[in-house]
Amino acid sequence: MSKTISRQPWANQSVAGNLDILIGSILPAAISVILAILTGMDFSLALLLIFLPLQLISVCTIAFKRQGARGIKDGLLILFVIFFSATVLVLLVSVLVSVVMQGSAAMSPHFIYQNNKYVSTTTSLEYGGVGHAILGTLIIVSMTTIAAVPLGIAMAVYLTQSNSKLTGVVRTVTQALSGLPSVVAGLFILSFMGFANFERSGFTGALALFPLMLPTVARVAEEALRLVPSDLRLAALALGAPNYRAFFQVILPAAKSGIITALLLGLARVVGETAPLILTINANNSTNLNPFSGGIATLPTFVYGFLGSLYDTSQARAWGAALVLLTLVGLLFGMARILGRAKKTSASKIKKAK
Amino acid sequence: MPNRQVDIQPERRKLSVGPLSTGDKWFFRTTTIASNFAFILVALILVFLFAKAWPAIQQQGPAFIYGNTWDVESDPPVMQLGPMIWGSLQVAFLGILIATPMAISAAYAIVFMLPQRLAKIATTLIDLLAALPSVVIGLWGLLSFAPVAANWAKLLNQTLGFIPLFQITGDEPTYIDSPFIAGWIVAVMIVPIITSVTREIFSQTDSGLINGALALGGSRFSVFSRVILPTSAPGIVGGILLGLGRAIGETVAILYVLQLTFDINWYQILEPHGGAVASWILSRFGEATEKEFEGLMAAGLVIFIVTLIINGLANVIVSRAAGRNR
Repeated sequence: MSKTISRQPWANQSVAGNLDILIGSILPAAISVILAILTGMDFSLALLLIFLPLQLISVCTIAFKRQGARGIKDGLLILFVIFFSATVLVLLVSVLVSVVMQGSAAMSPHFIYQNNKYVSTTTSLEYGGVGHAILGTLIIVSMTTIAAVPLGIAMAVYLTQSNSKLTGVVRTVTQALSGLPSVVAGLFILSFMGFANFERSGFTGALALFPLMLPTVARVAEEALRLVPSDLRLAALALGAPNYRAFFQVILPAAKSGIITALLLGLARVVGETAPLILTINANNSTNLNPFSGGIATLPTFVYGFLGSLYDTSQARAWGAALVLLTLVGLLFGMARILGRAKKTSASKIKKAK
Repeated sequence: MPNRQVDIQPERRKLSVGPLSTGDKWFFRTTTIASNFAFILVALILVFLFAKAWPAIQQQGPAFIYGNTWDVESDPPVMQLGPMIWGSLQVAFLGILIATPMAISAAYAIVFMLPQRLAKIATTLIDLLAALPSVVIGLWGLLSFAPVAANWAKLLNQTLGFIPLFQITGDEPTYIDSPFIAGWIVAVMIVPIITSVTREIFSQTDSGLINGALALGGSRFSVFSRVILPTSAPGIVGGILLGLGRAIGETVAILYVLQLTFDINWYQILEPHGGAVASWILSRFGEATEKEFEGLMAAGLVIFIVTLIINGLANVIVSRAAGRNR
């Protein structure tokens, strides 16, 4: 798709034209950088007041030179698309860079494995760490996973294989649920705890994450199952296999990496959730491996807790925990990506073999 | 004798397409039950929120939605959510205003401008942005972004301060904790969702249509404004609605960068006054009495119903648009 425009025969460009574009892009940037350094201007101010107008002028001139009056609009479109896309990129890079830079200041081996017993907001970074929070996050998230993943896959099976007329409604409700505000999930479990007389513990935190993970898993798993050619299932059925064996022995193995992607994306969705955990669990400074009683620490609530105070050391701890959390999310996400790629190639292999 | 022949015709067989073996019956039963869980979950959330919220709703009446006092010391406590609801809409609207141009540009660049390999990388980056936890965005927003955005706000106030939108009434403005900054933070969180919906819709645009327009002498701009945009407008609107739902439900990130006050701030987006229902729930929760807790439940019920409607609508629009283009 991306090549439809650029590959057309009338889109061939001369070398001189490309040179124009090169000069037109470098000149405004160079002028504004030099001016900004000479006058000592604020960077964002220089970007807005010098660079953008200059770039506008240069784009218009080059477009006019190359294609006449109608080229100007094209040039402006390209300029704005590049500007806004670059803004998105800058924001993303800014988040990543600041977390990595600030977070690595707090990083040390003991920050990973120690817990925060006897650590206050002003204790120096030589003591304490996020070990207890990592364990707590793993415990709570894996409890949610045990419940949400099988159920999500079963929903995906229903959505792809049943010929019931309700599938459309189920799909819409599932998609609407995937936009469930996380604070509402927390309030829901909180209200439930009030009626069922549950104590605040890791288990209630896992319950609160459940409605957030389920729709994600169901949606991604549905896409994965849809990628399996229906001929495979029909062939299995024609050979006399009942539906459940066709699913477990033919479809599930073919969609295996897609299902794992669903699991990983579901994990990435809930591992950083903060609001539901603040509402449903008690914070804890020491390690607690029992999810059914007592307070339990998690990475997001750890960040939240330390950001509340304005001391440098506690902010450094918050950044450090954010870096650990981000690494966790990045790992899950990267694994899902790699598997997702594998999924496509295996599906296309099946198609080719056909 | 023809009559007798009719009599001995075999009975008509019943045709059925239902599952034949017991295993199959259980297989379909299990998946059906699982799929009904979507309805059960929505119903459960409604029931439990409503059960806790009912005393507060009954006591506060409709003023809960539009009044602007939150006083839990008095007896009976007065809990009205007006400024928070207005603030939520304000921040969400600002976020959409900032995010939409960025999202459409990114989607356009990915689908129509970048070579395949770069487009794949860009898609991955956008998805990565969607996966960032909101507490991390909040941390970044408070400590890294707010000081920078405060400069922008100062610039806006000093150059365009004559417009009521950018006025500040206080004496020594700090330019932080304002709906403006919260709008930017929300924009960062909803750009990925609008981008991915728009990208999907863009990539389904009929390439014959585009090439036809180009062959008839259309330029890049006219193809964009006359072919691509009209055919994908419904999908983009759906994506924006999805972003709106996300923006209204955003909790932790806004809590860090916005000062929540019940002194309603209609339009001065650079002032450190604002509101957000979800963040208000979280900020009050710690010290809430039983009565106030019921009020917060009612607030949760409000955002649940609003986001459920918005998301449902958005998904219907998006799937219609995607289906039509296919």
